Amino acid sequence: MKYLAIVGTNSDVSTNRMLLQFMQKHFSGEAEIEVYEIKDLPAFMEPEDSEVPEKVAELSDKILSADGVIIATPEYDHAIPAVLKSALEWISYTSQALTDKPVLIVGASHGTLGSSRAQAHLRQILDSPELAARIMPSSEFLLGKSQGAFDNSGNLIYEDKLSELDEIFREFVLFTDITSKLLEEKVLNKKVKKYTWQD
Amino acid sequence: MKFIAIVGTNAKKSYNRKLLQFMKKHFESKADIEILDITDVPMFNQSDNQSYGPVLQMFNDKITECDGVIMATPEYNHSIPSSLKSLIEWLSFDLHPLAGKPVMIVGASLGTQGSSRAQLHLRQILDAPGVDANVMPGYEFLLGSADKAFDEAGDLSNEGTIDFLEICFLRFMRFAKIANQLNEEEEFSFEPGEYEVNAIGHSGSLPMKVSFSEKRIESIKIDTEGETEGIADVVFVRIPDKILEGQTLNVDALSGASETSNAVIDGVAKAVKLAGVNPDILKRRPKPASSRIREDEEYTCDVVVVGGGGAGLSAAATALQNGSSVIVLEKYPAVGGNTIRSGGPVNAADPEWQKKFDENPGERHTIESLLNTDESQIHAEYLDDFRALKEEFAAYQKKFGTEKGHLFDSPLLHRMQTYFGGKRTDLEGNTIYGQYDLVKIMTDRALESVNWLEEIGVEYDKSIVFAPVGALWRRGHKPVKSYGTAFILALHKYVEENSGKIITDSPVKELIIENGEIKGVIATGVNGQKITVYAKAVVLASGGFGANTKMLKEYNTYWSNIDDDIRTTNSYAMTGDGIALGKSVGAALTGMGFTQMMPVSDPDTGELFSGLQVPPENFVIVNREGKRFVNEFSGRDVLTKAAIDQGSLFYLIADDEIKKTAANTSQEKIDRQVEAGTLFRADTIEELAVKIGMDPAVLKDTVNKYNSYVDAGFDPEFHKDTFSLKVEKAPFYATPRKPAVHHTMGGLRIDTNARVLDENGQPIKHLYAAGEVAGGIHAGNRLGGNALTDIFTFGRIAGKTAVDEMK
Repeated sequence: MKYLAIVGTNSDVSTNRMLLQFMQKHFSGEAEIEVYEIKDLPAFMEPEDSEVPEKVAELSDKILSADGVIIATPEYDHAIPAVLKSALEWISYTSQALTDKPVLIVGASHGTLGSSRAQAHLRQILDSPELAARIMPSSEFLLGKSQGAFDNSGNLIYEDKLSELDEIFREFVLFTDITSKLLEEKVLNKKVKKYTWQD
Repeated sequence: MKFIAIVGTNAKKSYNRKLLQFMKKHFESKADIEILDITDVPMFNQSDNQSYGPVLQMFNDKITECDGVIMATPEYNHSIPSSLKSLIEWLSFDLHPLAGKPVMIVGASLGTQGSSRAQLHLRQILDAPGVDANVMPGYEFLLGSADKAFDEAGDLSNEGTIDFLEICFLRFMRFAKIANQLNEEEEFSFEPGEYEVNAIGHSGSLPMKVSFSEKRIESIKIDTEGETEGIADVVFVRIPDKILEGQTLNVDALSGASETSNAVIDGVAKAVKLAGVNPDILKRRPKPASSRIREDEEYTCDVVVVGGGGAGLSAAATALQNGSSVIVLEKYPAVGGNTIRSGGPVNAADPEWQKKFDENPGERHTIESLLNTDESQIHAEYLDDFRALKEEFAAYQKKFGTEKGHLFDSPLLHRMQTYFGGKRTDLEGNTIYGQYDLVKIMTDRALESVNWLEEIGVEYDKSIVFAPVGALWRRGHKPVKSYGTAFILALHKYVEENSGKIITDSPVKELIIENGEIKGVIATGVNGQKITVYAKAVVLASGGFGANTKMLKEYNTYWSNIDDDIRTTNSYAMTGDGIALGKSVGAALTGMGFTQMMPVSDPDTGELFSGLQVPPENFVIVNREGKRFVNEFSGRDVLTKAAIDQGSLFYLIADDEIKKTAANTSQEKIDRQVEAGTLFRADTIEELAVKIGMDPAVLKDTVNKYNSYVDAGFDPEFHKDTFSLKVEKAPFYATPRKPAVHHTMGGLRIDTNARVLDENGQPIKHLYAAGEVAGGIHAGNRLGGNALTDIFTFGRIAGKTAVDEMK
């Protein structure tokens, strides 16, 4: 499997980034995970022409060529960071590359809640018709107290969380497999709908 | 009433903007609505704080002053636009103008939903702690099919819609009025008088006296006896000042002393409570005005010094003496760096003075064994000095023969001891030793540094000559006042009296480079403002990287392992900042893999002075299993290596008699540490073993064997050869210890003029370095007392070269 793992923040210091870096290393036997940074994407603003910023096109291409996407989100004010929302707005406005793409949501926070509210928002956002991602249902990976979660070599040291992550990742690989097969077999009659910004 | 209306999108064309424009016009007679666009708000990034830039300051000021906020949001992907979210993130980061502010949410969309889902998200977001807005419940105004809702004049065309908007708005005006009353401070009055409280500080309780009049905190007095000098001192002055200035408990802790800062704040809070007032009221007050100054600052000077420890202040004082203007930027709230923590004298060979002291038994033997080193073991550049030292010593021997002589010393002996002491081989088989030209300069000019410090104002106690721990020789000049503090106090005073400017709380973040040349530095000030210092020369004197575990691990080639949670005896400011600054302009590094550890340090704090620190003849060191593993009399290196091989953690075992030989503690401290679980005490060895998770039989056996060695005066296991007391009298103690980082010998490569060199050995123009930030001198192991020699000597050189080269 080939996954694109999106770091949901532009912060220089991020335990969500560490989580994805750990997953990249830890699951290297099962999947090829590319950790992707969104900090260089421009802030979303409806472009005057149909010109797509280079970085946005790059992200779209990477999503399209991946078997699935992992998004790690922190929680800012009970919701996902503006910078992550901005990246998703670009995708929905331009390529809609997330359509039917299997997505796993994970998240880390310094407190005990592990970005739970942000993850719930992210599900709703990814479920909007313009994004239409295939989010893995009924699974959550919430990493609380994330500042103490990694040792200096970047390994996740909470054993309960590690086994949870192993379980969820295995499930996601399965989910990716099933979803892609299903979609291959029954090509959905799709996307005749135009969105408000499309003529 | 005055309302701020925020257009929740950065789109050029927006029906939400149109809706707000209509509201502004339509409700003109009822309220003043000012519409703000968010187009210029940068994307939120916590690593690039723009809270104090003009755009967010404008939002902050206008929102703070208004009676309420109206937000009009479109819906993007079932949520609010990222541009609106970004604004809210900025307004819940450093600035919190929305806290308690009445907010009305409206929204328009092209479809039928009228931004319904986005509005629900916005409510949740505005309710988050940090934002804390007071959103009007109910009265959802959702404008669907917005493209058909307005007429050509921009007015809503449907009567029913206008009526509902009016009801919502009238409701919001009443809501705002009531909600703003909630924001008024609770009324209170103190029971006047003086209250005594105890706050828990770093090294024990801090008795405080706080006095109140009916409406004000009038004074805060803290008994600081028992707290370490240095940064904590600043806390006891600055935190009370801030509290009194703003009559608030909303005071920022000082960096590097947050524990002590919070102890003071908590202490005052306790007193406030005793005076009959809920301290939370004062915690909700704004920060004192002086903490809110955020204007950027700009300075110009000849020499800017990065770091206010011994090296930096010496460089600054020297540059001032040579007629230059100087600014010192110190990252912490007080100057002193690691120097102020130093517990030893400064090494310098001063034969004229040392002659006044008799030699000690065995000292000649020390020199003889050094001079007996086979020349093949000595690097070529040191051979001439080695031979010259032989001649010096031969003359001494000839003069005194078997008579008792005076204390021998010379810069040559200092030099050769520094060389031999620093020679080490790392795990990869690389041998390192002190770079000859640098070691020569340091040892030849050491005495000059000592005398220079005397001129600056350091008073020495010349009645004793000291060999600090790990120094190998008695050539330590001891100040009258307590060690490190004495040097810093004198240098600090000198720099300030000679118009040098010291800016504290301001870490340097980058070098200013113009046309490829260094033109100064940029620092971040105490309140987050940008401090730009243009200078003709930059001196890096920011210390080593003992408090930067990541860097230690990255470069380490000497220790078999460095724990993730390794502690340091250093100031936490020592994070290698100057090395990073040097690297940013291509500076070469040298000897980075070698660090010195202090083997017997507190496993939690890295401190040397907790637990029972007794002379090594009374040390009984056991590992976690309760077995001895090393000769307790070994040097720092050997003890550290042995400890790391045992998994780092080990225990010092003592009995009631050994306890009495500990110079660092009192019964009160011991009792408190036992209570806190940082020191263990029991009536039998077996019980003690259980407390620290050892097999009682093993520890008992170890102690019995040790006691028999003391009786025999011989240790067949580890060959400890000096004993004093046995472990026999209850109660028994176990002090947990772990090696902690003490000195990082590596650093920027410099030349004898303290110029920073690049990879090709060429000086980097206008950049100088001195002290622990530079490498090459101490190589694999620094002698006790040589750090001070190094910083004062090369600090002075750096200051002098900087001035000379700008002419």
